[in-house]
Amino acid sequence: MTQPILKGDRLSKRFGGVQAVQEVSLSVAEGEIFAIIGPNGAGKSTLLNLLSGTLQPDSGRLALRGTELIGLPSYRRARLGLARTFQKIRLFKQLSVLENVLVGFHRQHRIPAWQYVLSGAHRRTDMARCRAEALSLLEFVGLSDQAQIRAGALAYGQQRMLEIARALATRPELFLLDEPAAGLNPAAVEFFVERLLELQRRGITLVVVEHNMDLVMSIAHNVLVIDHGQPLFAGTPKEVQANPAVISAYLGGELA
Amino acid sequence: MSEAALSAGGKRRIAASDLAIPAAICIIAALPFFFTSSYWLSVLTLCALNVVLALGLNLILGYAGQLNLGYSAFYGIGAYAATLLIKLAGFEYWLALLCGGLAAGIAGVGLAMFAVRLKGHYLGIASLGFALVTYEILMNWVSLTQGPLGIYGVLPPPPIDIPGLVRITFVGSRSFFYLVAAVALVVYVLLNNLVRSPIGDNLRAIREDEVSAASLGINTAAWKIFAFGIGSMIAGIAGCLYASFVGTLVPDAFFITESFTLLAMVIVGGLASMPGAVAGAILLTVLPEALRSIGDLRLVIFGLAMTLVVLFMPGGLMQAWDTLRARRLRGPA
Repeated sequence: MTQPILKGDRLSKRFGGVQAVQEVSLSVAEGEIFAIIGPNGAGKSTLLNLLSGTLQPDSGRLALRGTELIGLPSYRRARLGLARTFQKIRLFKQLSVLENVLVGFHRQHRIPAWQYVLSGAHRRTDMARCRAEALSLLEFVGLSDQAQIRAGALAYGQQRMLEIARALATRPELFLLDEPAAGLNPAAVEFFVERLLELQRRGITLVVVEHNMDLVMSIAHNVLVIDHGQPLFAGTPKEVQANPAVISAYLGGELA
Repeated sequence: MSEAALSAGGKRRIAASDLAIPAAICIIAALPFFFTSSYWLSVLTLCALNVVLALGLNLILGYAGQLNLGYSAFYGIGAYAATLLIKLAGFEYWLALLCGGLAAGIAGVGLAMFAVRLKGHYLGIASLGFALVTYEILMNWVSLTQGPLGIYGVLPPPPIDIPGLVRITFVGSRSFFYLVAAVALVVYVLLNNLVRSPIGDNLRAIREDEVSAASLGINTAAWKIFAFGIGSMIAGIAGCLYASFVGTLVPDAFFITESFTLLAMVIVGGLASMPGAVAGAILLTVLPEALRSIGDLRLVIFGLAMTLVVLFMPGGLMQAWDTLRARRLRGPA
């Protein structure tokens, strides 16, 4: 078996009296689609925030390709090839759709320092190149017609796709998506799933926190189920669907 | 927007914006011939000084979105540092100008390093506190700053000799206006390129959402410190020019009311707009002078105008300009 790209060991996070995440371990293999599911309030988003560095855990270990991540702020983790989207959409609302994606390119500019304050050939070609790449990313998520409008003016589903394009601009190897299909209509979900599979084919490892069980079961290779912040079960979608503890957590104890 | 003028082959066509700088130079050169009295020449010089300050504050407040209510402190630090270096340490004027800017810039970096975790109102209060402390130090460190008595006889910059050509002196009020206007133009060009570069995108991203900016790999703390440092350095340079323009230096010139006037210029002009900062600075410098004849009533008109702007044009003068232009393009309704 190959070395996992992301390995978390007994991660815990407490908010006051609430144990949001308790001793959760996970191992994500290179190139797979890994899903994290669980009922509302199970701690899925908190777990994702621990992985991305938006929050630091109280205890536990976490490594990306063997590099220890605990203590690294999220911008340092992003530079290691980790990107994310947010459950509650967080775009740069006053910037244009194109500018949102351009921000994601900020580590890839090759401009001599003085050309930041004076015009010059390197600056022009560099910015034109990033612009072209940003436009192709917008095309990938189906937003090329909206490049010039304000990001805050996009429809809800389009905002979700823009967050994906913006994150892809950082050229991630591991992409964390927090409920990316929430609020999308069926046609948009279909488009989104197709794009997700395309990203996986390109070699990006995907970790998806999702509520939509059908979606998870159809695309994920491995699933981690958490409930009340604790790991409930980990396995393939088939194993998850057959597990009595998972069914009980989702449908209520009395039915199991 | 020079990037917009880029054609597919990487060659540039001449855009209207390329003519903006030559046009600005012509206007600056012509202005002293229309406003010949020494009173109006000094109003013009104040306009240019306030343009420099508004541009610097706009970088911190408009682009990076950091509420800095203590901008006057950096103005004062630059003025006192440069003047004291000339008077006590015998620095050459132009070197002192640079050091005044650096001193204010370092103070800005220092404040930002402590305040970088604060947001919105909290940062506002911290920066206001910094300005009050700076003011009290200027007032009470009498052995160094002469306190409320002030420093008199601050000299204008020495003449520049261009061998074989001319000798540029800065004694008359017209040449001093040219000096400050040239500084304003240089600051404008450099900042305008900066805010349109990827660095400008970073700063605006931090203003919009720090968490997601960080998720893209942006070191938000470092960039906020950068914006504070550059913005404060600009204030420091303006402070040094102010000292030699007025000739006297008293702490009251850098009291927090000055911060609020500068804040008003940036807001009235339009946050995160380079032409807006220029327009706001000129309007709020000229308007009080033009209304001087009607006595204290001008303060009422001044306040009312500000309130109306905030209520009906939160994007400032630049928003009004864009609305008017859009209407003209659409034709009369």
